[in-house]
Amino acid sequence: MTRFAWLQSRTQTLTTLAALAALAVVAAITGIRLSHLYDSLVAPCAATDACGLASEQFSAHYSWLQNGFELILRLAPALVGIFWGAPLLARELETGTYRLAWTQGVTRTRWLTTKLLLVGASAVATAGLLTLTTTWWFRAVDKVGANRFGLFDRRDLAPVAYAVFAFALGAFLGAVIRRVLPAMAATLGGFAFTRIAITAWVRPHLLAPVHKSLSLLSAGRFGFTATGNGTVDLVARGADIPNAWIQSSRIVTSAGDAASAAQRGAFINQYCPTIAHPSVAPGQVGKFPGDPSAFETCRQQAAGVFHFAVTYQPADRYWTFQWLEAAIYVALALVAVIGCYWWVTRRAN
Amino acid sequence: MTAMLETVGLGKSYGRRWALSDCTLSIPAGKVVGLVGPNGAGKTTLLHLAVGLLAPSAGTIAVLGDRPGSGPAALARVGFLAQDSPTYARLTVAQHLRMGGWLNQGWDDGFARTRVDELGLDLRQRAGTLSGGQQAQLALTLAVAKRPELLLLDEPVASLDPLATREFLQGLMEVVASHGVGVVLSSHQIADLERVCDYLVVLATGHVALTGEVEALLASHRRLIGPRCDPSSLPANQTVIEASHLDKQTTLLVRTDQPVLDPAWTVTPVSLDDIILAYMRQARDAGTPSTTRLAVAR
Repeated sequence: MTRFAWLQSRTQTLTTLAALAALAVVAAITGIRLSHLYDSLVAPCAATDACGLASEQFSAHYSWLQNGFELILRLAPALVGIFWGAPLLARELETGTYRLAWTQGVTRTRWLTTKLLLVGASAVATAGLLTLTTTWWFRAVDKVGANRFGLFDRRDLAPVAYAVFAFALGAFLGAVIRRVLPAMAATLGGFAFTRIAITAWVRPHLLAPVHKSLSLLSAGRFGFTATGNGTVDLVARGADIPNAWIQSSRIVTSAGDAASAAQRGAFINQYCPTIAHPSVAPGQVGKFPGDPSAFETCRQQAAGVFHFAVTYQPADRYWTFQWLEAAIYVALALVAVIGCYWWVTRRAN
Repeated sequence: MTAMLETVGLGKSYGRRWALSDCTLSIPAGKVVGLVGPNGAGKTTLLHLAVGLLAPSAGTIAVLGDRPGSGPAALARVGFLAQDSPTYARLTVAQHLRMGGWLNQGWDDGFARTRVDELGLDLRQRAGTLSGGQQAQLALTLAVAKRPELLLLDEPVASLDPLATREFLQGLMEVVASHGVGVVLSSHQIADLERVCDYLVVLATGHVALTGEVEALLASHRRLIGPRCDPSSLPANQTVIEASHLDKQTTLLVRTDQPVLDPAWTVTPVSLDDIILAYMRQARDAGTPSTTRLAVAR
């Protein structure tokens, strides 16, 4: 049965492997250059911790290739589900060849097991090689970017687990729907929904986050903004914790409670009058304060009165989250596979 | 000897609709069975149940003593040619034969290659580009070369032209003669079956309307033509299958094991066609609401 399953799937597998090989050649050539660039641009300044400009320069290299690889990484799992998973059983059911396949001397269970294992293994190998290549290619870029959690679903284990799930989901939906095109559409929909649902509703709750109170001056951006009704408010965003996943942040009082709009307004009125009432000509975008030193003084004063409360997942939890994410998707894939067996052996027709 | 097909109270429902119900059959081994019935009578359902593609909703079915499709051994003993002779459109003839070898323990590669050669099929041609008749022949070759003890063929000649039909049936009979396999062959074209079958099962509206050896059926049915009379006045051993009346004349199709002695009747033999059609009409009328029956009877 393995030989027959290979006969049926070899064209798609070999085509994909050829495309992967081409991608690997491009990645190898450019990846080595990128490595040299990192050594010459970023490595010297890393010791002195003053890499702002060098980092920006470095990250701009091969931006078209970066975008391309990120796009491929986003699409690859869905494509595996749509083009390998969905037709796997749906094509046999749609064209009627299942009546030929299931009446040879091989049981339906073995037929299904072989097909799922062989094409599933190709899917894992494809997603694995792709992710391995690109994760290697991006290693310097990612180091400079210091935002591992921001790239969470396009590096390391996650894309492979997504591909496994998409494949199993496609196979199951194909068995149920019994027609290739609707099964492909349903696979895309089901996969996208699952990804969004787990990213939005499950992943943030997997591990209890760390709460930390920082100085407002350590926020990525901290300053003043004009609100719609002409007053000025205090804003702080993006705590500077490298590679961490910042889940939420807010300005709090010294007592630890969230600073209300009224409290923030009172502070600005009291300590930063020049900022609170900027002289802006009608129709112009408010540029304030006129005096940069007043702005900086006010920032310092605000940092004395308020604090920055950050809720986050620390960088060292990255691999825990990767494994958890992979486990969730592999478990979902197993459910879909069990569904395939159930449908093919019990419910078919 | 184990019956090649034995069913007791077999039924299959799709939701609320019963495609086949209360089907009880016992077909002795080695027969060439014609499975006849109008479209939607349940022929395909019965064959799919017999090959294990479907599971029964009611009753039991045994094929060569096994539960259909229960394992590799049961699968190996039954060859199946599904309706419209499915083949993998993108695989070549040679690849189909290789598939047969990979998936069947008892695969007879020599037979398969010889047969494909005799049929004039190009080994390198993709199955999707073969004609309907060639596809049917390729699918039959696959079913036969696995060396089954029983061949189940679902409407194998429905899509073939008369010449291809004749060649197909001829090929089938050669296989039957040389390998001694039992065959169940479904069709809604009675003429195709008459030539090859020695056993008959007539299905109508999901029920078995008639079953038996062709010779016995021919011997036990008579057409009686005589003066107009009430069919219920016949002797108890004569079962009326169909009656039609003219002003002064009554024509009956009766089933009886005894000779018809009443000199009022002109007794003639009946063709298999007429027997089958009479049972189909009987089953249809029994299953139709009375208002439509009037319209049909006219």
